Amino acid sequence: MIISEDVIRKVAKIARLELKDEEVIEFTKQIDDVLEAFKSLEKVDTKDVKPSFQPIEIKNVWREDKVKDYEWDPLSNSDNKENNYFKGPRSV
Amino acid sequence: MGVKEYLTQVKEGQIDLEDFVAKTVEKSKKIQEKYSPFITINESINVKTLKKGKLFGLPISVKDNICTKGLKTTAGSKILHKYVPPFDSFVTRRVKEEGGVIIGKTTMDEFGHGTFNTNTPFEIPKNPWDTERSCGGSSGGSGCLTSACDFPHIALSESTGGSISCPASFTNTVGITPTYGGVSRWGLISYANSLDKIGTIGKTVEDASLLLSIISGHDKMDSTSLDVKEDDYTKYLVNDVKGMKIGIPKEYFGEGIDEGIKKIIWDNIKTLENLGATYEECSLSHTDVAVQTYYIIAMSETSTNLAKLCGLRYGLEKPIKDGEGFNEYFSKIRKEGFGQEAKRRIIMGTYARMAGYRDQFYLKAMKVRTLIIEDFKKAFKKYDVIVSPSMPILPPKFKEIEKLTPLQVYMLDILTNPPNLAGVPMISVPGGFSHGLPVGMHIIADHLQEKKMIQVAHTFEQNTDYHKKKLVMK
Amino acid sequence: MKIGLEIHVQLNTESKMFCSCSTDYRDTEPNSKTCPICLGFPGSKPRVNKKALDHGISIAHALNCKILPEMFFSRKSYLYPDLAKNFQITQFEVPLGVKGKLIINSNGKEKTINITRIHLEEDPAKLIHIGGDITTAKYVHIDYNRSGMPLCEIVTEPDFKGSKEVRVFLTKLSAILEYLGVYDSSLEGSMRVDVNISIEGGERVEIKNMSGFVKIEKALNFEVIRQKSILRNGGEVQRETKTFDEKQGITKTLRTKEMEEDYGYIFEPDLTKIEINDKWENEIKRNLPELPDHMVERFQEKYGLSDYQSKVIVYTGKAFSMFFEECCKLFNKPVMVAKWMITHLLKCLNYQSINIKQSKLSVKNFVKFLKIMDEGKITERLGKEIIKEITLTEEDPEEYLSKKGLKMMNKQELEKIVKKVLDENKKAVEDYNSGQEKSIEYLIGQVLRKIKAVGNPKEIREIIKALVAQ
Repeated sequence: MIISEDVIRKVAKIARLELKDEEVIEFTKQIDDVLEAFKSLEKVDTKDVKPSFQPIEIKNVWREDKVKDYEWDPLSNSDNKENNYFKGPRSV
Repeated sequence: MGVKEYLTQVKEGQIDLEDFVAKTVEKSKKIQEKYSPFITINESINVKTLKKGKLFGLPISVKDNICTKGLKTTAGSKILHKYVPPFDSFVTRRVKEEGGVIIGKTTMDEFGHGTFNTNTPFEIPKNPWDTERSCGGSSGGSGCLTSACDFPHIALSESTGGSISCPASFTNTVGITPTYGGVSRWGLISYANSLDKIGTIGKTVEDASLLLSIISGHDKMDSTSLDVKEDDYTKYLVNDVKGMKIGIPKEYFGEGIDEGIKKIIWDNIKTLENLGATYEECSLSHTDVAVQTYYIIAMSETSTNLAKLCGLRYGLEKPIKDGEGFNEYFSKIRKEGFGQEAKRRIIMGTYARMAGYRDQFYLKAMKVRTLIIEDFKKAFKKYDVIVSPSMPILPPKFKEIEKLTPLQVYMLDILTNPPNLAGVPMISVPGGFSHGLPVGMHIIADHLQEKKMIQVAHTFEQNTDYHKKKLVMK
Repeated sequence: MKIGLEIHVQLNTESKMFCSCSTDYRDTEPNSKTCPICLGFPGSKPRVNKKALDHGISIAHALNCKILPEMFFSRKSYLYPDLAKNFQITQFEVPLGVKGKLIINSNGKEKTINITRIHLEEDPAKLIHIGGDITTAKYVHIDYNRSGMPLCEIVTEPDFKGSKEVRVFLTKLSAILEYLGVYDSSLEGSMRVDVNISIEGGERVEIKNMSGFVKIEKALNFEVIRQKSILRNGGEVQRETKTFDEKQGITKTLRTKEMEEDYGYIFEPDLTKIEINDKWENEIKRNLPELPDHMVERFQEKYGLSDYQSKVIVYTGKAFSMFFEECCKLFNKPVMVAKWMITHLLKCLNYQSINIKQSKLSVKNFVKFLKIMDEGKITERLGKEIIKEITLTEEDPEEYLSKKGLKMMNKQELEKIVKKVLDENKKAVEDYNSGQEKSIEYLIGQVLRKIKAVGNPKEIREIIKALVAQ
């Protein structure tokens, strides 16, 4: 076993995913399966190999510092709003 | 009527567009009842505002992870089931600029996570060739509709690990996945940003190439958009492969591939040889770790992309209770809004980049990816195109899919993950039938060499009849 | 004791870090300077602001950092109500610059503070806690105007040995950044500091998100006391993240070690790598404005200021030193300018918690004031009063004097007053005439009383002597 139910619970918590107990059990088995398969990467020799960020090398893309106002109503896709603020849950 | 003929007739004023569009919407509804390719059918098309461009009057369907301004866009997920984007994606803006008619949003695996379009809170699309079987995924709706419709139409679709080639293969249609960066991703709801590519699915190589030409080109709103001029890919529809060199990766014809499929593809290679091409066996030596590499990177990226869906600003939300903390609120929304596969991938992706694991998984996969890209670059020094089956299996029955573990499903990406990781362009064309079911053939070219693969694909198509085989509507 | 800082500086570009929304968001309608990018709408993608890159390179130079030839952006993932995408685009693996240093003056000695790294990132949105404070609110109001503002984060080694050093460092850093033209200290929240403190090899406590150097010093002082008291009672300091409650003057727990986030860094796949070549670096170097250390030397040479005077003027800030130089153009006694600016003007500004830009004092009026003082007609005490007044209003010092009935007399007017005093104090005059020197002081005092101290005692003495002699 590479991964335990505890770790699955911990990771789910970080990702703010509330899992039911049955889900934890099911996911642990399935994910452990997948992680076992991922282990085969270990045997690949990647010494001195650079990581690829995009599959085709693209670099030095930026834009000039100019203001362009965007015309829209940012609050129109939500009902959780008050006095032009978005309403959100407490931050602690 | 074919797309080209239709466009000509519309241009010459021979088509009553209002009538045509109304009939198309009706037909779409009927197809929806039978096969469920849509999430949304656009019932408010105003023909009078259509621009007289290169796609004037042509029905275009859009995969539902591509934002359409004012038209519901869900990415196949409950967490966005009511979301109406306030802006157009680059590609749908281009379609509108050229007078295309967006007839609806096609269904998909939630956020692109899937190979059979079964990971969905909406209706699962049924393969028109056998309604007990999958259309493929994640662009199941695109493949399904393109195959089932009898009106001129091209699908705007998207691939991360094979989501255009798989449904194209399963539904006997043509799917083009262009070079990474060749089509702007502005407005595409990201699955994995370094892997996502918008492409097209059509009944013929010509159709798919036509729409690709319209949507390609540099876009300043997408920083990974390649600085290349748009190209008219239809000029590469040349019926000639004389002197073209084909590479056949031996790893793509190994044990896990259905024997019937292998035989069909080999026959097709021989056909191409008879038409003047030459072929040679080659090796893409890191194929055996491609699926793992793909999933680690894709899941790492998607787990960060999906973090923003938490019940704030848009999407699924609930009234905020007094004193409710953000952990509680976010978890509540995400628990309800995401399907099982999305949850699994978020967990695996979060794990793969966690402190203590990210060297072993995320960073390692990023390096192995470099080696996989080098495999292809090396091969393309020798060959014009690479040919293989698009998928290792025939479209499976839904019953069979239910029995598969997630890992077993992932491993079926063996033929599509490598070129998708490498960001090279690929086209899946109808390659034949086995047990009455479609078999797709993959033609892969080097970065920005779409012209070569289109030429080979078109030649093959013009010299075979598979794309013409009629659906027997049950 | 080990103290380290993470300083977040808002760069004063026109547009945000990754989108074209305006950075001028203060005092505007909430959520009015936004777009799908800084609001993290599905399908939106970031675009790097070149000016922010330029500013970052300037800062790296000024702090003597080694600038890395290739720059990458990273995603720092965590879910929080103020993060539009629930990840922040920052630079983790490969920052903009590393291994810099800044020398400060600590207790009369020079001390080097090592800079671990500097990097660029984006600001989150602003949260307003409704119905309570951060830990007790019912819910929050979120304003995304600030979301996406360009930030430069400067991380120091834990080289500080006390809160005073921290304040000295931050003051100097703030001045340098202003001189570079990359930051405006007068904007609220434009510099925010996270402080990490551990004492006697114990666990590290982080106090997050503080603005205002005096506040930071207070917070640190409290935290040191708190930690020392725990140790004295035989306990152990817990590793945790805290916030400083200014009203109560205490630090409060936000989250503990167990609740610490794992940020799961990946490279930002929507952005490309940025190559910083020599040409770019040299162009920035060439166009760097005069930096404070150089200005200090120049002030000593050009204006004859002392080491102390030049440092105070320069490090109070760009506006302050510019004001000084403008004054010197109109009034040719720089040491006197410096004296009044340092000893009185600065005190005034600090007392009112404003900087010179926020005060209404113009160069013209200050020079007028200096000229008045130079003529010796006003006592230093009155001078202080005038400065207090004219820093708050746009008033002309002469007009102020006359308004208060403190008109400055010319010689004739003064003579009239003196004559009157002599008439009213015949006994004192007699005493002076008969050799009692002290009586003249008395007479001078009487004159000063009449003219409400707006006169030069020396001049008055001369006039008295002249008149008595008649």
